Amino acid sequence: MTVVLDPTSELTPAARQRTARPESLNGLTIGLLDISKPRGNVFLDRISQRLDSLGAEVIRYTKPTFSKPAPVDQRHEIATNCDAVIEALAD
Amino acid sequence: MSCSVHDVSDLEGRGIPGVFVTTVHFASAVSAQSQSLGFDAAAVMTSHPIQDRTDDEMTAIADEAFEQLVKALTA
Amino acid sequence: MNKTENNEPGTLTNEADNSKTENETGLLSLTTPEVPPLPEGLVAVVKRDCPTCVLVKPVLHDLHRRAGLTVISQDDPDFGEAADWVLHDHDLALSWHHSIETVPTLLRVSSQGIVTASTVGWSRPQWEQFTGVADLGEGLTEWSPGCGSLSVDPAHADTLAVRFGSAGLHSRRVELASLEDEWEAMWNRGWSDGLPVVPPTQARVLRMLEGTSRDPSEVIAVVPPSLVECSVEKIAVNAVMAGCTPEYLPVVIAAVQASCNDEFNMHGVLATTMSVGPVLVVNGPIAARIAMNSALNALGQGNRANSTIGRALQLVVRNVGGGRPGEVDRATLGSPAKVGFCFAENEADSPWGSLATSRGWREDQSTVTVFAGESPRIFVDQRSRNPESLIRHLAQALRVTGSPRMLLGIDAMLVLSPEHMARFVDAGWGRNDFMAALGEELLINSEEVLSGADGIAEGLPTAAAGRKVPKFRDEGLLVVQAGGDAGLFSAIITGWSNGPGGSDPVTHEITP
Repeated sequence: MTVVLDPTSELTPAARQRTARPESLNGLTIGLLDISKPRGNVFLDRISQRLDSLGAEVIRYTKPTFSKPAPVDQRHEIATNCDAVIEALAD
Repeated sequence: MSCSVHDVSDLEGRGIPGVFVTTVHFASAVSAQSQSLGFDAAAVMTSHPIQDRTDDEMTAIADEAFEQLVKALTA
Repeated sequence: MNKTENNEPGTLTNEADNSKTENETGLLSLTTPEVPPLPEGLVAVVKRDCPTCVLVKPVLHDLHRRAGLTVISQDDPDFGEAADWVLHDHDLALSWHHSIETVPTLLRVSSQGIVTASTVGWSRPQWEQFTGVADLGEGLTEWSPGCGSLSVDPAHADTLAVRFGSAGLHSRRVELASLEDEWEAMWNRGWSDGLPVVPPTQARVLRMLEGTSRDPSEVIAVVPPSLVECSVEKIAVNAVMAGCTPEYLPVVIAAVQASCNDEFNMHGVLATTMSVGPVLVVNGPIAARIAMNSALNALGQGNRANSTIGRALQLVVRNVGGGRPGEVDRATLGSPAKVGFCFAENEADSPWGSLATSRGWREDQSTVTVFAGESPRIFVDQRSRNPESLIRHLAQALRVTGSPRMLLGIDAMLVLSPEHMARFVDAGWGRNDFMAALGEELLINSEEVLSGADGIAEGLPTAAAGRKVPKFRDEGLLVVQAGGDAGLFSAIITGWSNGPGGSDPVTHEITP
């Protein structure tokens, strides 16, 4: 554990803020990233159906392994093609 | 789980709102990983375990999580 | 006797121990122990591990008996005495707070607990004079040097500085968990320009602050674009991150002062779509003192001071001011110089005086001049053997600064290399001769640069026809000497819009 001094104006929390959210998912493209654990695909199948009913497009992605972060090319592809991403399902 | 935090953190850095789903079993690990990354990635928790669930049960779990997922991705 | 009540006889205690508390936000705050009071009268600070301290033990006995001396031991709790006049500085609080560097140190302490006089090491005549007690240390050597105080031992110094000195630091403490790489954690918080930063731990920041005599809480400037008051401490935190050493800190502070004002207009420099950043030129004795590079590769990489001082300023603007690319920073292309651009002038080899002296400063003053500029562009002339040829050629290169059709509205910095400068110096030219001749060469026939001339839309309005227009405004060309001994190259650094709507160069003195 290292304690460091905040180099900023401290006008915002020390943690990074989340990216701005859209008003709704209607008309947006949502990436569903399957981390490749058993049963996660069934979960995402249902999420896909529900997103479809909200008027969102879905693109499915599968990580090669749940034990590592997604490969850089896959992250780039998601960022290029999608407006938001849901990653599931870790147990 | 901690890899999901990394993925969402990276994608948020690329301007893509993200959320990941994990079981309640990992709640404390999520919080530790988020704190160490300096980024509180959005997460939705489901019940644990899931690997022995039937398709119907998984669908029900997904339905339960869905509203929270939409909430995590929208303003 | 000021000894406090305690289970452990002869131990000085603190009201509050150095406890670490965690508040609701998970941020860490450190409370600082209070300093126990010094006993009144004569006090000797000693350690068992010092032969001189052990040597003078009989003298300490004698002084206790005859003059009420109190002994404060840094290591052995009772200094082999187990007497109530021997106290233990168990956490070195007294030694640290009273800046004890040597043991033994004899102190004279007033009734208010204030040290009024001190002497270090063992010297019979000095001790006799200091204490007013005669015939001290019979049979002892006349003189014996002291040893290093435990409180300045490198093994303890950082810990003590954080324990006792961090109360003066007001920045939010941020805990980086051991799970994660420190650099990744800092990057994720948005604190870096993209290059690695040094974790600004309390120990490092306290060390950095030793580079200045200023109070850490002194407000140095209001930093744009968020217009946040910036303390010496915040500058020190960012200087640590940039990789500075403590002796660079006064230069960084002066650079912040020079940049954050209406004349230099850091806000505009940041917000403009032009790709400029603060270019720092260091003049005066401090440049050599902190081993800055003004010679071979002066504008390049490899010298720590050159590389980190400019970066520290940019990190202050980023982190304190909130000036980040894509947000307020709207540079269309940016430039590698925006990471940080700082170099020193080669004054020793310049018979023309320096940039600073040309701007009215004395050569014994250390200064930093900040100029809103782009990356350097190299000017090549390997054939001119007399000043007339070289100055004409140089003028041609300077004419295109910004664009060939941009006149008066833009400044430039010319970095003359030693070999180019020698062409003028060898012919007997001084700075004024050089500037006057260059000014002549840079008078441009407006017909050549009117809007529409040669089918180019950019240019002066037709009302300017038939005039000679100077390329640069008065004092709009800053001349600096730097570079390696060999090479017939100089560098031109293009500026941004000058004057009230843009940026004017600013020189600020560097003080401790």
